[in-house]
Amino acid sequence: MYAYLMRRLLALVPTLFFASLIVFISMRLIPGDVIDLMLAQNDITTGQDRARIEAALGLDQPVYVQYFRWIGGVLTGDLGSSLWQNVPVTEQLGATLPITFELGLLSLIVALTVALPIGVYSAIRQDTAGDYVARSFSLLMLAVPGFWLGTLVMVFPSVWWRWAPELEYTPFLEDPLANLAHMIVPAILLGLSMSAVTMRMTRTMMLEVLRQDYIRTARAKGVGEWLLIARHALRNGLIPVVTLIGLQAPLLIGGAVIFEQIFVVPGVGLLLLEAVFQRDYPVVSGVFLVVGVGVLLINLLVDISYGWLDPKVRRQ
Amino acid sequence: MTEAVLNPVPPALAPSGAAGRLFAFLRRLVREKPLGAAGGAIFLVFLFCGIFADFLAPYGMNETNLEDRLQPPSLEYPLGTDHLGRDVLSRILIGAKLSMIVSFLAAGIGTVVSLVIGVLSGYLGGKTDMILQRGVDAWMTFPDLVLLIVIISVVGPGIPQIVIVLGLLYGIAGSRIVRGAVVSVKESMYTHAAQSIGARTLHILVRHIVPNVMPVLIVLFTTRIGAVILTEAGLSFLGLGVPPPEPTWGAMLSGTGRTYMYLGPWLALAPGLCLTIVVYAINVYGDALRDLLDPRMRGSR
Amino acid sequence: MRTRSVALAGLMTLATTGAAETPQYGGTLDVGTVVVTLSALSWDPLDWTWKSNHDYGMVREQLFAGNLDKSVRKGGHYSFHAEAYLPSEVMRGELAERWVWEDDRTLAVHLRRGVMFTGKPGVMERRELTAHDVVFSFEYVDGSPKKAQADYWGYLDAVEARDDYTVVFRFNQYNAEWPYRYGYGFQSAISPRELAEVDAKDWRNVVGTGPFTLANYIQGHVQAYERNPDYWDTETVGGERYLIPFVDEVKYRIIKDEATFLTAIRTAKIDILESIRWIAVDHLKETTPELQWARWLSTTGNFVALRMDQPPFDDVRVRRALNLAVNQREIVDLFYGGHAELMAYPQHPEFGGYFQPLDEMPESVQELFEYKPARARELLEEAGAPEGFSFKVQVCTCSPANMDLIPLLDSYLAEVGVRMEIEPMEYASFLSRMTTLTHGPGYFMNNGHTNPTTSIRKFIRGHKWNPALYADAGFDADIDRLMQMRDEKDRIALTRKLTVKLLEEAPSIWLPTVYNYIAWWPWVKNYGGELRAGAVRPGPIYARLWIDQEMKRSMGFD
Repeated sequence: MYAYLMRRLLALVPTLFFASLIVFISMRLIPGDVIDLMLAQNDITTGQDRARIEAALGLDQPVYVQYFRWIGGVLTGDLGSSLWQNVPVTEQLGATLPITFELGLLSLIVALTVALPIGVYSAIRQDTAGDYVARSFSLLMLAVPGFWLGTLVMVFPSVWWRWAPELEYTPFLEDPLANLAHMIVPAILLGLSMSAVTMRMTRTMMLEVLRQDYIRTARAKGVGEWLLIARHALRNGLIPVVTLIGLQAPLLIGGAVIFEQIFVVPGVGLLLLEAVFQRDYPVVSGVFLVVGVGVLLINLLVDISYGWLDPKVRRQ
Repeated sequence: MTEAVLNPVPPALAPSGAAGRLFAFLRRLVREKPLGAAGGAIFLVFLFCGIFADFLAPYGMNETNLEDRLQPPSLEYPLGTDHLGRDVLSRILIGAKLSMIVSFLAAGIGTVVSLVIGVLSGYLGGKTDMILQRGVDAWMTFPDLVLLIVIISVVGPGIPQIVIVLGLLYGIAGSRIVRGAVVSVKESMYTHAAQSIGARTLHILVRHIVPNVMPVLIVLFTTRIGAVILTEAGLSFLGLGVPPPEPTWGAMLSGTGRTYMYLGPWLALAPGLCLTIVVYAINVYGDALRDLLDPRMRGSR
Repeated sequence: MRTRSVALAGLMTLATTGAAETPQYGGTLDVGTVVVTLSALSWDPLDWTWKSNHDYGMVREQLFAGNLDKSVRKGGHYSFHAEAYLPSEVMRGELAERWVWEDDRTLAVHLRRGVMFTGKPGVMERRELTAHDVVFSFEYVDGSPKKAQADYWGYLDAVEARDDYTVVFRFNQYNAEWPYRYGYGFQSAISPRELAEVDAKDWRNVVGTGPFTLANYIQGHVQAYERNPDYWDTETVGGERYLIPFVDEVKYRIIKDEATFLTAIRTAKIDILESIRWIAVDHLKETTPELQWARWLSTTGNFVALRMDQPPFDDVRVRRALNLAVNQREIVDLFYGGHAELMAYPQHPEFGGYFQPLDEMPESVQELFEYKPARARELLEEAGAPEGFSFKVQVCTCSPANMDLIPLLDSYLAEVGVRMEIEPMEYASFLSRMTTLTHGPGYFMNNGHTNPTTSIRKFIRGHKWNPALYADAGFDADIDRLMQMRDEKDRIALTRKLTVKLLEEAPSIWLPTVYNYIAWWPWVKNYGGELRAGAVRPGPIYARLWIDQEMKRSMGFD
């Protein structure tokens, strides 16, 4: 097990190195660099001003020097500082990541709450009208663009009933209810849009499990239909669903960007988007790196728990 | 040894002759998966509109006429006009064409990339497989939208950029599924038999491997089309989609659709409905295809 | 449209009568400001960002500020809408109590006594502001590596503290923009000397003498300012003097999405929204009739710059032809639904005498705003381009209005045989085209009016914000002369002359300037939609309004 873990962890290193290199260099190839944006703040400039700012930000060094300086920092836990805000990137990530994480977690709960019952129901009543209706609902949520659903929820209740979701962030530890009041609407929408994939997976697994011999045996023994599903089928069907959580992690973070923007959630997606538009290189590289590591670790955890849940896999 | 033995063709494709096989498949689709069949039909309508957009559109996509701006749907303008007095129906039709171009090209590139990586990785195995799979790992680490935001801001928004980036994105992600299929075909006795006869690698790939992963590719291609349309819309919302005045549905919905949702709700309704219906149709059709063509893929994303 | 402006005037009167009520203390003011989508770029004056005053100008004061008693709402004539301009009769001393020209080259600014820095643990004790702090603040920004222009304060030899309460500015030549360049301008905030000892980038270290202290900052989400109970200034209402600020807390709410910030004002999650596009106004009035309204003419000019350093736009006839081919009147009436002014750039109607209305301008200028496609074709033929031509235009995807307008411009030009090849670009890339001079021949942009002299100063050779590359030695010499004129009457006369010259030489396709709208709930009192009491600095405005909390409750909001 430990050998396996170490091997998996070591495999991450070249992966991340490669990715960080691409991000770091590509950001600097984008036309329109941060100096242009900074100079545009003001009235008149001459060529010499440009050189002065470049030097002040350390951007006058060759790209590879900047890269090694950055990667050296990364190894000591220093991701550099925002070129605009001048606060450490780690501080910005510390402020935004937990918020996106919370949004992701809530969405996942919503997604599973919706997807599991529909998936199970669809499997039991395969190819009936009920199956179609239940599945259609889930797929429809996938087919409506998230930003449009978000806009509708933002606008129409306010026009009809003067009601709008809470728009101000409160840290969870400060006031859990106020925090949830703000996060719940984007979490529901994000969760619904994610539910389709999980629903599909659950349905397929259920279908396969229901065909297995032991289920048939149990059924023959006269075990009640719902008990059968709860005790035997669902438990086995759940294992791949856990895997799916790993697959969903990057989707959650990506999908969060849009909902963060509409529902004013100060998460890591907004931070990245703004940093890209402002060409804030250290922030972009930092977010990329940390999100990448995060997703890899989640996948690793899922793999481990998967092996732990299923004796067949453990033996392999 | 006959071809039927060499190729473990799924039952859906069993009857000989392309037309016959297609017909048999369609019959099965309609009989067993009516929802999927309906989705497929809607998809065909969308294809038709896209292909013949230039003939069907009553006006040019950028034919402005300020006098007739923000007209609600009428006989003259079946879907109304936008803030510049452009006919929304014409723009929706041209939008279908653009969505089709973008999604077919991107899904096509994606499928080819999946095939190449999947076959190389799955068939050659060993070191090649290891290296390729670590690369795929690295790529899949990053959230799609996050990757897109960064890459599009590097290359700038535009149809060719978006096609290539989305193609690569989905291609690499899909390669794992193709690899799985290739490995299982390779392990099957038929290929061993072909190898023992002394067939060349290329010959085995073309004659035995590729035909057998074809169902997988067809399903991948179909579902990717829906995904590309939806992703382009999301990018439009973030300001990184196909730039105006090209009327993609995503841009129409997130741009003028949202800006003028009070003055002209029809501006959002038309592209929004089209987008949702088409993506939904492709998804149910894709699900049905999956069930019929390749049981191995059920549930994969 | 006419009826709409009458209705608007009616609302304004309502708001005015409200000002006679007795002020109330307390409550929180939530604002979506002019730049509701944009978080603070920096808290450190060293960074020279343009919107600093907007953010730390709530905390840090300046030598001069706008006298809000001269606002239209209080019976004066000034709107306080301009981005970075205070007419001399509207400017008052803020930290400066009075200022005296001791001779042609020496300006003595006498500071207000007893003005206290609030103090902050880890930064400084509460203490009185002195002239040394002003000198420090000047030298701090002057010595910044990010200072935008080496000779920005080139007209100054020195800034000295004569004693604790007197700052002396030693000039080597007069500069007409002196109160703007260091006074009420973008880089004129006064910080304590202790700033040099701490991390100035950290928002927790922002200390000033102003009406508020910075209490919380979540990047991209909220900037919360708390009342400074120790603040020196007062507000006179109904003959009584009151200590300010009235509200306990002001929150700038940062909201990226338009649908969201419109919802926020509709549901009173914010009390004031200063950045409403005309498109949303009618619907908002319909769904939320309680809102009070004011409108402000955009403080950026809108145009397609035509690069004059290369053919075909080196020929004035071609540039004029393009102006004649575009129907600006129709754009105002139909595209903007009447919510725009035909000509409001380079001078802004709020610039008083500097602004000359279009109908008072010579025929050569008026003609450019008329729609004469036949004349345009003639001019193109004279210039040797009877068949027309096609040219590249960059446009920023960051401006939805410009993205909407450009297909329309293209269809106008198509009628005289000229085609645009539209190149949409994301902001940073778009901007860098101009700064590296790789843009054009057409460049569709917005350019800030700033103030009357700065606006036309942007047309001198080598100016970064001169995308048409307008180059005229005589013009440059005139600008030099303008900057040294002491008498404002002379400056107005010369500015008008230069503005006419610029307009008629058409370095750009001149386009209309749009109106934006401000809405606020009726419980916001002593406020009439003023935007800036200095360069992008609303601090003094928010310090003077109060919230009628009883009314807010009775309307169902708490």
